[in-house]
Amino acid sequence: MANEVRNDLKYTEDHEWLKLEGEIAKIGITDHAQSELTDIVFVEFPEIGKQVKKGDELCIVESVKSVSEIYAPVSGKIANINKQLEETPEIINESPYADGWLVEIEVTDKSEVDSLLDADSYKKLI
Amino acid sequence: MVKRSPLYEVQKKLGARFTEFAGFEMPIQYSSIKDEHLTVRKSVGIFDVSHMSNVWITGEGAEDLISLTTVEDASRIEDKKSQYTALLKEDGTVIDDTIFMHLGDKYMMIPNAGMAEIVTKWLNKKAEEHDVCATAENVSDDYVILAVQGPKSRDTLQKLTKTDLKNIGFFGCQYIDIAGINCIISHTGYTGELGFELQITPTEKAEKVFNKILEAGKEFGIKPIGLGARDTLRLEKGFILAGNEFKGGRTPLEATMSWTINWDHEFIGKDALLKQKEKGDYERLTSMICTDKGIPRAGCEIQKDVKKVGIVTSGTMSPCLNVGIAMGYVHPDYREKENILEILVRDKPVKSRVVRPPIVPKDWICQN
Repeated sequence: MANEVRNDLKYTEDHEWLKLEGEIAKIGITDHAQSELTDIVFVEFPEIGKQVKKGDELCIVESVKSVSEIYAPVSGKIANINKQLEETPEIINESPYADGWLVEIEVTDKSEVDSLLDADSYKKLI
Repeated sequence: MVKRSPLYEVQKKLGARFTEFAGFEMPIQYSSIKDEHLTVRKSVGIFDVSHMSNVWITGEGAEDLISLTTVEDASRIEDKKSQYTALLKEDGTVIDDTIFMHLGDKYMMIPNAGMAEIVTKWLNKKAEEHDVCATAENVSDDYVILAVQGPKSRDTLQKLTKTDLKNIGFFGCQYIDIAGINCIISHTGYTGELGFELQITPTEKAEKVFNKILEAGKEFGIKPIGLGARDTLRLEKGFILAGNEFKGGRTPLEATMSWTINWDHEFIGKDALLKQKEKGDYERLTSMICTDKGIPRAGCEIQKDVKKVGIVTSGTMSPCLNVGIAMGYVHPDYREKENILEILVRDKPVKSRVVRPPIVPKDWICQN
């Protein structure tokens, strides 16, 4: 089973990862999540500039048979989306922690990032 | 209680992920739905479909009972032939769609998963009411059902039997030895590809047959296939899934199964169908290919110019076409071929083109 957990990332219980670079948080789904979903065939993105609150629906990720909601791990403004996934969503399966990132959020409150799970806590979860 | 196939442990070892479907814990996928789907389209796959039911219909009135309770005139179906048909209630709605096999002086019916008791009781009740000398017996627990499907299915099975499989025509059925085990074979399937289905009893013998088929198909790259790909394979061909397409009570006319109806005989539900046919204003099952991005799912509303004209009963991403495809009930005025309708996916209209099934044509493999 593909269950790679990277030490330099933060995680949520809903199997998302987050990497903070300055004010921008890059967000994706974990290796465990992509392996559970298999064959991702469609991603629905939020609009750039949209304000989201922690826990809001951020994206929809669909596999052949399933529809999964991805929730915002932190509050902020959508700064960027991974447009590459519109044509080739399978990149999430191939590279969940790098090329398969979903969105970037301009974070409002950095303390929300601190409250996310670290790699060890996430490993215990899966 | 949830039932398991006698092949559960074998499948677990092969890496199956399981799901509950109609009271059975069955493999949903092994490698991935897409990979399994394309394996069946291009070569060969093996499915355990033991969740499907087995009902023996015996007695001198067996043929009459089938003619009475289905839209088929069973006297047309010769020995060693099988037929796809539907059982109807008096009001014309479908109880179940099924295949029955004519095997000498008796018939085996294959109702859907979870329908064994309902169909058996119905058949026996109607036999009694109409004074037909026939008995239906639910023997589902005694059988494992395997489906071997794909262009290399015949080559795979031929290695395990002396019977020339080319002599078993489409919808032919008979007893056969496969890997030294006597079973019932039928040239049938649910994938739109060349394929066969095997009924194996006692169930202890099924593991040997399953493993021998995997071994025989190795040179063709055979894979075990889960219910996930079974669903996408059937949907690409426009085949009906009872739980989806008959939900809420639908007649065979609505389900575009009129080709299965033999009007020249008397059957339960016929009067209701004749009335509906005369009226003609009923919704009909319609296949669609999305021309916008988006994947329709069961329950999505179908619209034309913001007006509701239908509802999706099955939808998926087509692994062959890489676009969304759907089947749903549409008002008769809006289902002309090439019509563009909108399917609401999470409140966003996804443009979809009406097509006639199969959604994926038979020669798909040749074009790719």
